[in-house]
Amino acid sequence: MTLEAEHMEISLNAGDLDVASLVKEIRDEVSKKRQEGVYTDARIGRAERHNLMYMADSEELLRFYLNCLRDGVHVDINDYQIEDRRTGWKGKGLVKMKTVIWKLLKFYTFRMWHQQNQINGLMVTAIESSFQQYEKKIASLEERLAKLEGDSAK
Amino acid sequence: MKLVFITPRFLPEGVVGGAETLIRDLALTSVQAGHEVHLLTTCAIDHFTWSNEREPGEETVDGIQVHYFRVNEDRNIEVFLRIQDQIDKERPVSREDQQRWAENNVCSRDLSDWLRKEGGSFDAILVGPYLFGITLESAKIFSEKTWLIPCLHDEAFARLDIVADMFHASKGSLFNSEPEKALAIRLYDLNHDCGQVVGMAMEPFDVDKEAFAKKHQLDTPYVLYCGRQEGGKNTPLLLDYMHSYVERRQGAVKLVLTGSGDVPVPEKLRPFLLNLGFVSEQEKHEAMAGAVAFIHPSTNESFGIVLLEAWLAGTPALVHDRGEVLRWQCERAEAGLWFRYYPEFEAMLDRLIEDEKLNTTLGENGKQYVLCTYERAAIAERLFAVLKG
Repeated sequence: MTLEAEHMEISLNAGDLDVASLVKEIRDEVSKKRQEGVYTDARIGRAERHNLMYMADSEELLRFYLNCLRDGVHVDINDYQIEDRRTGWKGKGLVKMKTVIWKLLKFYTFRMWHQQNQINGLMVTAIESSFQQYEKKIASLEERLAKLEGDSAK
Repeated sequence: MKLVFITPRFLPEGVVGGAETLIRDLALTSVQAGHEVHLLTTCAIDHFTWSNEREPGEETVDGIQVHYFRVNEDRNIEVFLRIQDQIDKERPVSREDQQRWAENNVCSRDLSDWLRKEGGSFDAILVGPYLFGITLESAKIFSEKTWLIPCLHDEAFARLDIVADMFHASKGSLFNSEPEKALAIRLYDLNHDCGQVVGMAMEPFDVDKEAFAKKHQLDTPYVLYCGRQEGGKNTPLLLDYMHSYVERRQGAVKLVLTGSGDVPVPEKLRPFLLNLGFVSEQEKHEAMAGAVAFIHPSTNESFGIVLLEAWLAGTPALVHDRGEVLRWQCERAEAGLWFRYYPEFEAMLDRLIEDEKLNTTLGENGKQYVLCTYERAAIAERLFAVLKG
């Protein structure tokens, strides 16, 4: 690499590495994997909550975030394998106690979570629909603009 | 030349903020280049209270003649905070209120009086960082020979009229990076000759790469962040990303943090986190040397001292795409990668962990870049090329 600062010129980079190309290469790989569903994971959607403010102008991130949201939108209210790290009679007892607590909890909160899931689902659908509608509108406006510019050039 | 530097805080033996460290270092560079150097500062140590903790007076530190002045104790903190809150929320603030904010900011009448009386004998006055009352007031006194060391960030305070006035009235600015200069030109409609990029000297160090892992019994690779832990530095994003990374990779790597601050840590990340708070410079350098990558997610930096230190330790960097300055450093040095969102972060961190050759090359590039670009002689050359016009 040749660095051209105000008062000097220095040759660096023994490895002839071009980080901009490397970043592009990794981004292409990520893009491919994303299409294959490698990153369809609620944990990723959760991780992006602080990033949206920086990348709000990125259409790509918004689309990706909507996919994450779709994947993680429903609160999981299904039964799951209840375990305890302790072994022996103490562990077995604790598993039984936790199972009873879970059943009670599920019984009393099922209706609330069910309604919440319906709301979450409707909201994501509404956001996705708006996004798609605006995308279509912008595409059609761009097409009209290009046509008008073409006509005026003639 | 006879120079005077002005900065809000100075600790002879300790570490203060990045901008203050940078200004002290430029003063030191000037002393070592054979110039007479004075540094005006306040008696405050704590950047929350700004109370006068030390006695006013003078002392010589590393050849710099340091003068301590009392912060105005009659500042109206209530008015200051009320207007600051409006500025912070990007609400319209009148020029009068901006002036009231500056007057009730960290100011020192004693310092201003000294500068009015003695400032005429100096060849140049260098003040910074931009958003302190002490800077805004000092810059007005001999504006024709005042150089700003702004350490400018793209934030609400930078868009104040009184800050724009200061940039227009002063002789010029010493910037830390090209993106910082571009930001000043964009915000204040300045000419390209409004200042030069100088930076600060970085001292090389030699440490044992294994020492940190041995001391803290780390048996897996670790990534590191050093600095304030707060929203403004994007630390919550780093914690969220590492939370997802250790879950998806079954804890293949640990996160080490050093520096002050308190941000909520996700429960499942705790077993993979080592948060040391303040550590000695020696330990920080050892941590840097042994890390698989130095992650700096901040999008609001004017220089990135810790990034350059990590490169001196031979460690590659991973930064946020929107951190213009840090990304600029990575591109120039060919020593780091930049991510836009989690999948890229994951893929890049995987690559840095798995590809040892790439990791070494990036780290070595970073080290050579810092040694060449931020060597003290190079800084002195750039600084005095500007000051001597």
